[in-house]
Amino acid sequence: MRKIVAVFVMFLVVGSVALLSSCAPKQKTPSVIKFGAAVSLTGKYAREGKFYKDGYLLWEKKVNDSGGIKVNGKSYKVKVIIYDDESNPAKSQKLYEKLVTEDKVNFLLGPYSSGITIPDSSIAEKYKIPMIEGGGASGKIFSRGYKYIFGTLPAAGNYFKNTIEMLHMMTYSSNNSNKVTKVAIVHSDSAFDNAVANGAAHWVKAFGLRLTGVQEYPSGSNDLSSILTTIKKNNPDVILVAGHTHDALLFIRQAKENKVNAKLMAFTVGVQAVDFREALGKDADYMVGVTPWLPSMNFKGEVFGTAAEFAKTFKDAYGYSPDYHAASAVADALTFQHAIAKAGSLDPKKVRDAIASLDVQTMYGEIKFQANGQIAKGQAVIQVQNGKAYPVFPKQIAQKKLLYPAPSWDKR
Amino acid sequence: MFEFQVIINGLLLGGLYALMAIGMSLIWGVTNVINLAHGALIMLGAYTTFWLFKLLNIDPFVSLAISFTTLFVFGFLVQKYIINFVIRAKMFITLLLTFGLDILITNVAQTAWTSNFRQTSPAYSANGFSFGFITVPYVRLSAFIISIILVFALYIFLKKTKTGQAIRAVSQDIDAARLMGINVAKTFALTFAIGSGLAGVAGSMIGVLMPITPQMGGIFTLKSFVVALVGGLGTIFGPLVGGLFLGLAETLGSFHLGAKYADIIVFGILVLTLIVKPTGILGKNDE
Repeated sequence: MRKIVAVFVMFLVVGSVALLSSCAPKQKTPSVIKFGAAVSLTGKYAREGKFYKDGYLLWEKKVNDSGGIKVNGKSYKVKVIIYDDESNPAKSQKLYEKLVTEDKVNFLLGPYSSGITIPDSSIAEKYKIPMIEGGGASGKIFSRGYKYIFGTLPAAGNYFKNTIEMLHMMTYSSNNSNKVTKVAIVHSDSAFDNAVANGAAHWVKAFGLRLTGVQEYPSGSNDLSSILTTIKKNNPDVILVAGHTHDALLFIRQAKENKVNAKLMAFTVGVQAVDFREALGKDADYMVGVTPWLPSMNFKGEVFGTAAEFAKTFKDAYGYSPDYHAASAVADALTFQHAIAKAGSLDPKKVRDAIASLDVQTMYGEIKFQANGQIAKGQAVIQVQNGKAYPVFPKQIAQKKLLYPAPSWDKR
Repeated sequence: MFEFQVIINGLLLGGLYALMAIGMSLIWGVTNVINLAHGALIMLGAYTTFWLFKLLNIDPFVSLAISFTTLFVFGFLVQKYIINFVIRAKMFITLLLTFGLDILITNVAQTAWTSNFRQTSPAYSANGFSFGFITVPYVRLSAFIISIILVFALYIFLKKTKTGQAIRAVSQDIDAARLMGINVAKTFALTFAIGSGLAGVAGSMIGVLMPITPQMGGIFTLKSFVVALVGGLGTIFGPLVGGLFLGLAETLGSFHLGAKYADIIVFGILVLTLIVKPTGILGKNDE
């Protein structure tokens, strides 16, 4: 009997609570614009993936702290949903599908690496939700006629264009002692690096320099000695290396071991990052790299101020200095912010059109896209001098003169 | 003349592969556990030497003993308190367990140390002898010599000492060994400990030659697996022979055919070995 009474009372209590809560005035949920992204938080791209997550979340906080985004007089907060794609393209694609169909995000932010961006962008195109990515530079992303994918990294094929132009100017200028005639290209088998190498080979010939050879190696390889022996045999003046940071580090160490003394070595990634320079110590000096962004560059925007101010905000939040990956990630989000304001709407097609016609200055520089969706801006050539990276070309943004030729290993 | 350099590079690389594989081969041959966390142990060895060098300025070669001991203890505990539970189960279960351990160790390392690249860089790190056009880097030569010393040390340990003979007895017949009064569980733990210690030493050397990240282990597990198999499972000199063979094949193949074929060559040799002589180069044919 007592048990029945107890159960009855319990039902009464639960029932009345349910009734009361349903009568309570509906809480006014603030309007939120949802952004979704899958980045590599584990697996081989974990290091770079973190830069994107940190960038996206820094922007989210900045926007929300500043009152959100105004659309048609109404203020919206932003929310960035981030999943871990484990550096796996297939998994990443599934996660983007989930973001669109289950999480019902308004817009998409990109993953890291061309190999992962290629399948992910297909999801954006399929559901006609704009995606802006800052982690994939391969032309393959933008050569399919897609309308809903935009990228803030300069085209992979042009990564070394300014570097080669710089070498050309040195060679064909009146001062003949700095001639560069022979160039060797080394690249990994990834989609991005293949695109960089093909482009570089084209530019070497276009600028009148001689290509001694193009060598491909498997991504993540633990030994590049045979490549270096071949290079020693061909004796180029300059070596262009298109590989991810791990490969660049290995290449430099093994080049030193094998006493390969090129007058200049340039890398697509690594040189601009602090951990790269710290790992190499003095061996990093004279290395040339490319980057679309450095904190010291003369860029300025509404939301984060100058590039240097952005870098400080980032460092204060996360304890490390941002490199161009993080800046590119934030640029993606800033593009959406400006495009939504320009469109005055959250309609995907209207925002997409606003992005395509956008031309705005930000801490990342000018954000303006070419017809195929890739950003119009180019790479700056940087060189490590005394442990710090400085832009050396083009002239308008150079802060130091290129040190060429690099002294041989035993003279450093 | 460049050919000669490639051969030297191949032998040195082979020595490194041998160093990596000894630990895995020992564990596999004795306890029949394919330790998929082997690469993670190598990674821990690399970080141990890196931190000792960076924070306490201990020379990497001096830290080898510390690296061995640290991983020895770690391996002992892992085997005794985790792997031991499934030691008699089907191989699939132990594979699953060590696979899980690999993920766990890698992710703990990533949380603790971030994925930023590190490198152990003593002043002599990339220096070497030069004979005309041929260069022989000091550290690689040392790793080569160390791997030979360790293989011989292991040989003497297993053939001449009582503990070593106990390990061999257990690898031949667990029940007979138990009947002879050998503590099998303790022997397994000891084997795993030695194997882990050896992985630690390999990792310490690798950390001076290649970039260090929490994810670095994966390819080393794979290469050690191939070396152990090709050299001959359950043999002491197998890893040495297998490592040298593979190192030479990789560098010569890369030089003549192109570096992009390096992986194809390595795994092609694996497949060929499994087809032609599954017990490996030095392996004895099963009755």
